[in-house]
Amino acid sequence: MIGLLSIAIFLPAVLAAPTFLLGRKNPKMAKILGVGTTAIVFAISILILVVFQYGQAGFQLSESLPWAGSFGLNYKVGIDGISLPLLMIATFLSLLSAAGSWDQITFRHAEYYALFLIFETGIIGVFTSLNLILFYLFWEIVLIPMFFFIGIWGGPRRKYASLKFLIFTYSGSAVMLFGFLALYAWTGTSAYPGGPSFDYDVLAARIPNLALPLQLAVAITTFAGFAVKLPIFPLHTWLPDAHVEAPAPVSVLLAGLLLKMGGYGLIRYNLLLFPKAVSVLWPYFTTIGLITMIYGASVALVARDIKRMIALTSVNHMGYVLLGAFTATVAGVSGAVFQMFSHGLAVGMLFLMSGYIHERTGTRNIDELKGLRGKMPQTVSLLFLASMAAMAVPGFANFISEYLVIQGALSVSYLFAIAIVAPALTVGYFLWMLRRVAMTPPEGPKNELHLHSILILVAFLVPLLIFGVYPPPILGSVIAPTVEKWVGTIVGLGAR
Amino acid sequence: MALLSLTPFLSLAVFGLLATPAGFLHFRKSKLGLAPFVCILGLAIALVSTVWLGFTSPSPVSFGGFQVDLFTLFFSGVLLIVAIFVTIASLQYMREDPNKGPFFGLLLLSTLGMIVLAASMDLILLYVGWELMSIPTYALTAFRKKDPNSNEAAMKFFVLSALSSALIVYAISLIFGVTGSTGLTAIASSLSTAGPDVRPFGVLAIVLFIVGFGVKMAVVPFHMWIPDAFEGAPVTIGAFLAAGAKMAAFAAAFRVFIVGISAFNVDFYSTFAIVAVVTMSVGNVAALMQKSFTRLLAYSSIAQAGYILMALATPFTTTNVPLGLAGGLFHVLNYAILKTAAFVAAAAVATKLSVTDLNSFNGLSRRMPQTSLSIAVIFLGLAGVPPLNGFFSKVMLFTGSIYSPYSWGGYLALAALINSGFSMSYYGWVIKRMYFDEPGDESSIPEPRIYMAVLWVATILIFAIGLYPDPWIRLVQSAAAALVGSRGL
Repeated sequence: MIGLLSIAIFLPAVLAAPTFLLGRKNPKMAKILGVGTTAIVFAISILILVVFQYGQAGFQLSESLPWAGSFGLNYKVGIDGISLPLLMIATFLSLLSAAGSWDQITFRHAEYYALFLIFETGIIGVFTSLNLILFYLFWEIVLIPMFFFIGIWGGPRRKYASLKFLIFTYSGSAVMLFGFLALYAWTGTSAYPGGPSFDYDVLAARIPNLALPLQLAVAITTFAGFAVKLPIFPLHTWLPDAHVEAPAPVSVLLAGLLLKMGGYGLIRYNLLLFPKAVSVLWPYFTTIGLITMIYGASVALVARDIKRMIALTSVNHMGYVLLGAFTATVAGVSGAVFQMFSHGLAVGMLFLMSGYIHERTGTRNIDELKGLRGKMPQTVSLLFLASMAAMAVPGFANFISEYLVIQGALSVSYLFAIAIVAPALTVGYFLWMLRRVAMTPPEGPKNELHLHSILILVAFLVPLLIFGVYPPPILGSVIAPTVEKWVGTIVGLGAR
Repeated sequence: MALLSLTPFLSLAVFGLLATPAGFLHFRKSKLGLAPFVCILGLAIALVSTVWLGFTSPSPVSFGGFQVDLFTLFFSGVLLIVAIFVTIASLQYMREDPNKGPFFGLLLLSTLGMIVLAASMDLILLYVGWELMSIPTYALTAFRKKDPNSNEAAMKFFVLSALSSALIVYAISLIFGVTGSTGLTAIASSLSTAGPDVRPFGVLAIVLFIVGFGVKMAVVPFHMWIPDAFEGAPVTIGAFLAAGAKMAAFAAAFRVFIVGISAFNVDFYSTFAIVAVVTMSVGNVAALMQKSFTRLLAYSSIAQAGYILMALATPFTTTNVPLGLAGGLFHVLNYAILKTAAFVAAAAVATKLSVTDLNSFNGLSRRMPQTSLSIAVIFLGLAGVPPLNGFFSKVMLFTGSIYSPYSWGGYLALAALINSGFSMSYYGWVIKRMYFDEPGDESSIPEPRIYMAVLWVATILIFAIGLYPDPWIRLVQSAAAALVGSRGL
C-alpha cells in the first residue's frame, strides 16, 4: 500500500533525476522543476493536514512494507502530533527556500535543484519514519546534499566549513547508530518473543524491560548523535561555519530543518524511548540545554556578521528544545515541539532576508549595513517583524513556545529561573542589531527587493502570526494529545 | 551429476591454459589478440555455472577435501565478479602491452587458486590453492618489467608472501603433528578432545595461521607491503590484489578457523578483536595522511579488512543465525565491488593523467564527471553511508559483535563505528578535492568507455544492493550457514 506519506517522501527523489537531466541544458527548466516539485509536495502535505485525525494520540497514515525481512527491517512510516508540525515546516520551508533559490543561486542549477529534491526526501523521511534503520537512512541522506550545498555554492570558506560539517555530523551519527544497533541486539534476545526488530513500536514496548545500565548506554550514545545536530554547547562549532558559508536558501534549510532533526530525534528516540534512563539523565541534559541557551545568546551578542548572529540565534533557540524536552512535562515537551516549528519559520525568514540583503548591498557586516532603511525600506520593516518573532514578542508563535518551555522548566525546579537570562540576552542582541541597521539615518539610493522576494518573506510570517495569536489548532489538537499520552508514560522524574 | 559442480573450476583451468597461447592469435588487424576474450569467456562460463549451481544444488557436494557448498559458491561468485571487472578494465589498461597472453592467462590461474581456497576442506589442498593464487600475482605485480617501481613492489610483495606461505606450511605441520590429520573436520573432532600436552602446539599453530593469513589479509602489523604493492603494480592488478587475493585469504581464514579450529578450546576471538581494532584504526589514521590516491585506497582497504575481521571475532554459537559471520561475508561482497570499482576509477585517472597524485584530483568533477561521480559514490559506500551497499554489511557486522557473548562485543562495535565515522574525514576530503577545489587545468578529459562501463555497472550494483538488500542478506546468511554446517559436528 502506497499512501500519502510515501508519495510525499519519494516524489522529490524520483523527480530529482529529470530535474538534473533536463536542467543541464536549460537552467530555467531546473528551476521550474525544482520549485514545482516542492510546491506539489507542499500541496500533498496540505492534503495530509486535511486527512489527519485531530485530537488523536497514536500514529496515523501508517504504512508498513517488508524491506529486508531477513534482518528484521521494515519500511514503516507514520505521523503523530509530534511529527506533523515538523512535516509541515519541512514541506513549507522547502518550498520557500526553493523559491528563494530562484534568484540567489546563480550557477550549476541542475545539480543544485536535484540535490535539493534529494534533501527534501531525506528530511521528510526523517520526520515520518518509524523504523530505526529507515530513520538513520534518511538522516544520512540529508547529510550528503548539504555537504555539496555548502561546498559548491558556499562562501569564501566553503571548503573548510563543508568538510567540518560532514565530519562532525557523520561522526555524531556513527555514535548514534551504535545506540540503535545495541538496542536491536539487546532487545533481540530470547527474553523478548518475536525476534529482534528495528521497529519503533516494537522497541517502545520492549524497552521498559531493558536493564537500566543498558538503557543508559543507549540513551547516552543516541543523545550524542542528536546533540551534534541540535547542536549543544561544546559540539556546536560546526554550526556557525556551516551557516555562514552556506548560501542563504541553504541556511534556511540548515537552521529551519536540519537542526530540527536533532530536536525531533531527541524527543522521539531518546526521551520517549528511555523513560527510565531519562529519569536519571534529565538533570545533565537540561543543564546542557541551559548552558547552550545562554552561551548561544552571549556569543550572538558580539557577532559582527549578521548571518553569523542569526546562526548563533539557532544555538540559543535550540537550547530551549533540549531544556523543554527533558523537563519531561507536558508543557515543556509541547513547548519544545512548538519551538521547533516557530523557530524554523522565524530563523528561516531571517536567513533568507540576510541573503537578499547581502545580494543587494554586498555586505553582511552589521556596522556597514547602517542606514539600510534608505535603501530597502520594506525589507527593513520585515526585518523588524522577523526579529520580533525571534525575540519571542507576544503575538508571535515563538512567544508561546518559549513561554511553555520556561513554564515547564520552572514547574520542575525553581533553579531553572536562570533560563530567563537567555530571552533577555536575545532581546539585547536583536535590539542592538536593529539599532545599528534600522534605526540609523537612512542612506543611499533606494534598491528594494522584487515583489516576489517580498512575498516569499511575508509567507514565513503568516503561520507565525496566526499561531502566535491563536495557537489551539496546532498546540491543542495536534501536539498536546500526543505529548500527554507519551509523557504520561514517563514517571518518577527526580524532582517531583 | 556431482561432477557438474566442478564446472567453475574446470572452466578456469582449461581457459587459463588456453589464454596464454591464444595471446599470439589476432583478429585481422586488431592489436588486442584473442587472450582477453578467452579470459572473459572462461570467467563468464565459471560465473554463470556458479550462479546456476547456487540456485539448483545448494546442498554440499564433497570430493574428499574438496567441497562445493554455498560458502564456496558465494566466494566463487564474488571473486569471479572481481576477476571479470579486472579483466574488462585491463582490456583498456593493457592495450599497449605486447604480452597480453601471459597476463590474462596468469589472471585466470590466480582466480582458480582463489576459488580452490574457498572450496578446500583439507589443509594440503588449501596450501595448493594458496600458492596457485599467489605465484601468478607476483608475476602480475611485476608485469611492467622495465618499471623499477613495479619490480620493487613485486619484490616486497614476494618476500612477505613467501614468508606467509612458509608460516602457513609450518602451522599445517604443527596441526598435523597434534591431530594426525590434514582434513578440517578430522582436525576439528581431534582438537575438541585435545589434551593439555598438545595444547601449546595447537596455540602456536593458531598464531602462525593468524600471521600467515594476516599477511595476505593485510592486517596490522603485517600490512606494510600493501601500499607499495598497490602503488607499484599495474592499477588493475592493484584491484585484483585488493579485492581478489585479499578476500580469498579471508575465505581461507574463515574455513580454517570456523571449521577446523573453533572446536579447540582456545579464545582466538579476543585476539581477532584486538587485531581488528588495531587494523581498522591504523588503516584509517594512515589513510588520512596519504598524498597518492592508490596509497589512500591501500590504507582504506586495510581499514576495511579490520571490519571484516570482526566476523572472526564473533563467536557464532550465540544465536541461530550467525549474524556477525553473515555480515562479514556480506562485507566481503560489498567491499570487493567497491574496491574493484575504486581501482578501476584510479586506472581511468592514471591512464589519462599518468599520475594518481591526490593533487591531480583537484576539480576532477569538471574534467572527468562520470569518473568523479562514481568515485564519490564508491567512497560514500566505503564510509558506510546508507542507502549504499557498505552500510548494511557494516550494520550486520557491528550488530553481530554486540550480540557476542563476550562483554567486549559492544566496545568492539563502538570502536568500529567511531572508526567508520572517522573514515569519512579522508573519503570526504577526496570528494572535496574533486568537487569543491579548482582544477589546475580546466580542459575536459575524454573518459575511456570501457572503464566507464565497469564503473556504471559497479555504481548500479552499489545502489541496488543498498536499496534492496533482502536477497543478498539471505544469500550471505545461507552461505554462513553452509560454512558453519561444513563443520559436520
